[in-house]
Amino acid sequence: MSTSPASNESLRLGFLTAIYLDNRGHVAGLLVTNKYGRPLEFQCTAPVRPNRAQELLYGPTLVPFLLGELLSKTLVERITVKPHVLLTDMPEILDSRPHVSLPVACVAGKEGRTGEGETVRIGKLSFGLHVEFGEDLKAFEKIAKELANDADLLEPLERVREALQETMKAAA
Amino acid sequence: MFDVSTHSAIKESQSGADLPHFKAVPLAFAADIFSSGLNGALRRWPSVEIQTLPLFDKRAGLIPSWRPHWAKVPTFAVVFPAGLELLPKSEDAVEAEQLEKIEPPKRVVSEADSAENGDQPQRKKATRLKPPSDAISLEDRLFYLLQPPLQTMLAGQELVMPFEPFPYQYEGIAWLFSQKCALLADEMGLGKTMQTITAIRLLLRAGHIRRVLMVCPKPLIPNWQREFKAWAEELPVTTLEGDGARRRMLWQMPQPILLANYELLVRDWAEMTDDEKPKFDLVVLDEAQRIKNRDSCTSEAARSIPRKRSWALTGTPIENRPEELHTLFEYMTVIPKGGTPDLRQMQRLSRDYVLRRTKDLVMKDLPPRINRDEILELTSAQRTAYSAAEDDGIVHLNELGDQISVQHVFELVLRLKQITNFDPLTGESAKYERLAADMEEISASGGKAILFSQWTKTIDWIKARLPAECGSLVYHGGVPHKQREPILKQFKEDPKAHILLMSYGTGAVGLNLQFAGYVFLYDRWWNPAIEDQAINRAHRIGVKSAVIVTKFICKDTIEERIDKVLNEKRELFRAVLGDGSDTNASLSMNASEIFGLFDLKARHGKGTKKIAPKATPEAA
Repeated sequence: MSTSPASNESLRLGFLTAIYLDNRGHVAGLLVTNKYGRPLEFQCTAPVRPNRAQELLYGPTLVPFLLGELLSKTLVERITVKPHVLLTDMPEILDSRPHVSLPVACVAGKEGRTGEGETVRIGKLSFGLHVEFGEDLKAFEKIAKELANDADLLEPLERVREALQETMKAAA
Repeated sequence: MFDVSTHSAIKESQSGADLPHFKAVPLAFAADIFSSGLNGALRRWPSVEIQTLPLFDKRAGLIPSWRPHWAKVPTFAVVFPAGLELLPKSEDAVEAEQLEKIEPPKRVVSEADSAENGDQPQRKKATRLKPPSDAISLEDRLFYLLQPPLQTMLAGQELVMPFEPFPYQYEGIAWLFSQKCALLADEMGLGKTMQTITAIRLLLRAGHIRRVLMVCPKPLIPNWQREFKAWAEELPVTTLEGDGARRRMLWQMPQPILLANYELLVRDWAEMTDDEKPKFDLVVLDEAQRIKNRDSCTSEAARSIPRKRSWALTGTPIENRPEELHTLFEYMTVIPKGGTPDLRQMQRLSRDYVLRRTKDLVMKDLPPRINRDEILELTSAQRTAYSAAEDDGIVHLNELGDQISVQHVFELVLRLKQITNFDPLTGESAKYERLAADMEEISASGGKAILFSQWTKTIDWIKARLPAECGSLVYHGGVPHKQREPILKQFKEDPKAHILLMSYGTGAVGLNLQFAGYVFLYDRWWNPAIEDQAINRAHRIGVKSAVIVTKFICKDTIEERIDKVLNEKRELFRAVLGDGSDTNASLSMNASEIFGLFDLKARHGKGTKKIAPKATPEAA
């Protein structure tokens, strides 16, 4: 699937991250913005809390499964304004790459066990790619050229976390 | 059973001399029957057959298998409205008007800061939008929370700005952006216009509003046009003008920004039926004190405009009484029609819906305003004329007895004030002599000054006398509107134009004359707020050096007494608007005080009737 924006199409970036709330579980949010950071769509999941059997049987693979497969995949499938790439600051979400059809990159230094993949500088930060998806590099390099050198791509992720907190507060 | 190897080991150990003697008995003797009595035949391996048995009966119902199953995760979505498609920026637009670049504020880094942060570059402080207190739905709150910081939106990315706003301006823009009802009451000169335009620009971009009505006094229309061009040149601005048919068409056109003056609003509104009245997403009233009189046509027209958001701008939210805010709150739809909140409620409403900053609070690095009260002795001819007029006037007032009204006293005050400006018979003027001396120096040094007077007659009189070297220009209500902009342009650009003579009514509001380093108040207005507005034409953002403000006050005259009364009133309005509000809070003189100028007592009522003339732009 082609993920790079066509030349006449404006770039859309997806910012995907998650938070954990005591007694409620994991909740993930995806914010799609244009290249200037202006929001186009925001989608978040309901909190997912594994039961005891799931905790026992998944063991240490539980959180990577929840964030990387269950929640990320759901959000990417549901979002109506489709982003061209996904950016995250959580290594577990970088692991969603085999399950979604979009290039995913994680802020460098936080890629965890998949940190041996390619790296690319976008704005003022370096991002690491999934080790098995080196071909994503091309898409990110193209996007890096479109963004300003001082673009702060961590900031939208902070917005997502704030919005998740606000949503959970409203749902409480 | 004891095996042979064990037996051998024990045997070997017997070599030790100290070990006790014992006799070894071999246990592996051949026998069919063990010593224990067991039959050797039992040593055969039993025949075992393996077969699978069900552990649980089917009836138990428990199947010990597990498959990973996760219920579908519900999601919640917010889709943001598409922003306004704006006109592409034309390439020759930039050279059409060179914008004056104004240096952004320089951050002063203390030694302590430097030591603490090492060589790390400072991360820019981000101004985030906050959901307004009245935003209840989650969608509304997320709309604000998910917007990028203002600095990201504005700093050289999507929205080009002529210069970087000050931090307090970012806060003002963010506040306006999220308020449906707002009164921006910053002191004059702090950039209310720029903050409003930028907030409108962002709201249009975000798709939150599509149609804006901006209402301002007629003389300020060119100012708003110019400011829109400077701060948001991509926004199409339509000015309401022309004959009735054209204006009707303009009212109905769905343009993003319609710029109208109060007079045309009142006139056209009266002629339109309710169905014909256009609806706006946002209505902004500039110089909103114009609607403070609840029963006036202007106030009623402004309050009846169908709208979703109501903003008001004024540097003097209270000119006379705190109650003047009632009408503004009613326009902002935060109190019911005809509502009269008490002081406590007003304070709460002010906290939620009024944003007021003063220069003292936010512009610590603005060059100072140096006030210079010039106490002048009247010339002999002026003194004679003044004394005669005052004596005759007081005799006349006393003769009126119970018939006396504030209007009678007021007329005398005006006559005396005019004499302090110049003696009508001889043309002598202590003020002019001082002005001429100051202007000689200012002209020689290439400086620029603005002078304010209450009377157009005085302005014309000064203009006729000032030497040609002063390059004097006149700007008052008698100057046709079409000529006003060229006059301001000439004053700014012509190095030979050194003084602009203005009336308070026409020149006090909305103009940007920060290149003038001197302000003369030739005579005093009745209300310090109007004087401050006049002074702030020059002492505002962009001013590069101190502004010297000279107030001419003639000794032992009515001017000295008026000055004393007005100065005593500047501290009275802190209660409603909080700290820093005293700079422009003001009272016009009331009847009691006017009578008191001549040691007369008010004959009617409690002396609270306001008698000062209205400071409308068309007054002079």
